[in-house]
Amino acid sequence: MADTALGGIRVIDLSQGIAGPYCARLLADLGAEVIKVEPPDGDVTRRLGPFPGDRPDPDKSGLFIHLNGNKKSITLELDSADGRDLLRKLLASADVLIENETPGRMADLALNYEQVMDDFPDLIYCSVTPFGQTGPYAKYQGNSLAVMAMSGLMYVTGDPDKEPLCTGGEPADYFGGLHAWVAVLAALEYRGETGAGQHIDVSCLESLGCADEYNTTMYAWLGAIRKRYYSRHHIPTYPSEIFPCRNGHIVVIGGATGFPLMMAILLENPELENNPLFQNLWLRTIQWEEFEKILRPYLMEHDWEDLLTRAQELRIPFAAVMEPGTLLNDPHLRERGFFCEVDQPGLGKIPVACYIFQMSETPLQCDAAPALGDNTGAIAEAVQ
Amino acid sequence: MSENLPLSRVRVLDLAQVYAGPTCTRLLSDLGADVIKVEGLRRMDITRNFVMPENNSEDDYWNKAGYFLLRNGGKRSLTLDFSEESGGAGVHIVKRLVEHCDVVVESFTPHVMAKLGIDYASLTAIKPDVIMLSMSGYGQYGPWRDYAGYGMGLEPASGLASITGYRDGDPLRTGISFTDPYSGIVGAGSVLTALVYRRRTGKGQYIDLSEQETAIPVVGYAIMDKAMNGRDPKRTGNRSHWYAPQGCYPCTGDDSWMVITIRSDAEWADLARTVGEPGWASDPRFVDVESRRENHDEIDELISNWTREQDAYAATDLLQSSGIIAAPVLNPKQVLFDPHLKERGFFDIVETDQGKRPVPHQIGAKFSGFQPDSSRRAPKLGEHNHEVLAEVLGLSDGDISELKDKGVIGDEPISAVPLPVMRMFVQWPLTSYQQMGALGPVEDDHHEQLGLA
Repeated sequence: MADTALGGIRVIDLSQGIAGPYCARLLADLGAEVIKVEPPDGDVTRRLGPFPGDRPDPDKSGLFIHLNGNKKSITLELDSADGRDLLRKLLASADVLIENETPGRMADLALNYEQVMDDFPDLIYCSVTPFGQTGPYAKYQGNSLAVMAMSGLMYVTGDPDKEPLCTGGEPADYFGGLHAWVAVLAALEYRGETGAGQHIDVSCLESLGCADEYNTTMYAWLGAIRKRYYSRHHIPTYPSEIFPCRNGHIVVIGGATGFPLMMAILLENPELENNPLFQNLWLRTIQWEEFEKILRPYLMEHDWEDLLTRAQELRIPFAAVMEPGTLLNDPHLRERGFFCEVDQPGLGKIPVACYIFQMSETPLQCDAAPALGDNTGAIAEAVQ
Repeated sequence: MSENLPLSRVRVLDLAQVYAGPTCTRLLSDLGADVIKVEGLRRMDITRNFVMPENNSEDDYWNKAGYFLLRNGGKRSLTLDFSEESGGAGVHIVKRLVEHCDVVVESFTPHVMAKLGIDYASLTAIKPDVIMLSMSGYGQYGPWRDYAGYGMGLEPASGLASITGYRDGDPLRTGISFTDPYSGIVGAGSVLTALVYRRRTGKGQYIDLSEQETAIPVVGYAIMDKAMNGRDPKRTGNRSHWYAPQGCYPCTGDDSWMVITIRSDAEWADLARTVGEPGWASDPRFVDVESRRENHDEIDELISNWTREQDAYAATDLLQSSGIIAAPVLNPKQVLFDPHLKERGFFDIVETDQGKRPVPHQIGAKFSGFQPDSSRRAPKLGEHNHEVLAEVLGLSDGDISELKDKGVIGDEPISAVPLPVMRMFVQWPLTSYQQMGALGPVEDDHHEQLGLA
């Protein structure tokens, strides 16, 4: 078995939901030992499904399995002195703690960073919340939608004549989880240099806010507010969006060298090379409705696989609009082994999206998610 | 300046361009690494063309772009010519630099590094413990490896667009190149992981990152539903898998909106009371999450009737004080002025030659032990040629002059298109954008409003 990157690192994952658990799962896939500490009724995602046959079962929630593979599970009641005592015992041998309680709650339990740092000076204590530990919104209730709304990204997503649109899949939580993961790794490197642990205050809002491609920049540099416009870019790239085709959808992107000639060849009409809409980017950008009258009918007569293959042969960067079903059966992802077939107790083999990068010496390793409290006895015994 | 940062002893050779790769190296730079960004004079980072102050492309516009600053602040700029004309001088210098670097990051299409003779195998011969990260659209192997990958295509290719869109509408992309910042962060994490491993074992390694793959886990719920139940996802606008109601509602003011999520019957009753419609709580059409989901359109109408009379910020405060998830949909200007982000210091004020500019932090975390440095301006093209070649490689002034004479290094882009034509091309047709409805009016006093004047 290959070496792991984070072997020897122990993580206490006290977090629930998506952001904190995804951070901890990445650490687990990289070889850290992750002990997930759950309340007696389990992480909230155990109740969110999807469930096989839509029959709720805390040990069969798809979202939970997706976010908590490779971890051990122990249940304890933070509101009881015994529970807090056990958590402190776990922290004694831990390198990292991840928590996502509402700011103030850990202090009420005498478990915030200042209250534990003297006992565990080399602990990396990572708090992940929607809006961070300080500031006027610190105690606001939040979810991915609320965070995306405040990040500025929702305002620029969607159609101009409709309400702003949130990206699917709870993106603010995943962004928050990624930033927490990077922050924990940076703190591990810092500890490697100095020996010191520290507190990390991750805000999902700021994690997603960092992804602001050029929206606040446009105001600060030009004094103009960018509006949502079919999720179309202002950087000179039109077209670069999703169109319907005969058997689904295709992303049409001209790229640096697509217009005018290659696109004319792709659309099997060489005369288009001399069409001003093909020759002049700004004209095409502004008179996009005219351009689409040429493009759309052709796309509706062709399949996305054919359009994608031929465009890429002409070095035009078209892309596929993948769906869960096409992802799971995709030959490219299959050859790269992106999905890991995990043997999940009670469920059997299930594909888990795992290998988000490939390391030559320390490959990521995916595994099943724990049943609620699966390891409570063994772990409690080991630390007593 | 970077003494107290975790990567203050790490040097990164940054061959990446545009958005994803530079986001990765920008993060490493903010964490203290010395990042040397390599650009070709014939192929400078194209983002040097995007968002000039006041949309003005006079003079050396390529040193002023806002888009470039966000992803490249704090780095050192070295120009090198990789073309045949320089007889491989650029590649030769890269190889010599690698000896003095811990990390190499590149974002070319897969065959390029091997063709130049600087793939991982070649680099380990020079620096055995080097960490090399290749970021590409679809990874280094597999049937799509040579596909050209643009950020705008990779978000749909990751599956995310299939779960993004209005009800019964076509798939839509986020209004940014989602997978670029996303995979940039993943890239930074992968390098940090390799650094942790190298600290323990002394070994470097090679990392193959496919930008398509990094974002697939965001689709995790829908993938699990497909794998478990064979069900394809539906696009549901702003609605939730789990809760009802949830949506985006109109408020007072032009294009002003707020979002609300109700997670339980108790919260539904709280909302009803807070907005002065206690009858909603006992209405049999809305009594539990299933009935609220069934009658979601009606609920949306009722909530909209209330929000239309509300200021988004004030209504957020009101609902949050009852423990309800609510938030204003902030436009980019409002983000710059938001009191919470302001108090947390989310924007650094960066001193540029054109004046002060607000730049968001590149990591959404505050550390008690150190403060990532995101307040530095971006390097001008070739600004650190002399410094890097002299300091890192110990080249003499004469050697460096010779490289300059041969056109291997320089500080002005060489474009196939004449510069006056380029200047016209990189200025945006703002008035047309406004007529299309893609851009609001230009506020001439924006610097005064932002307190930057």
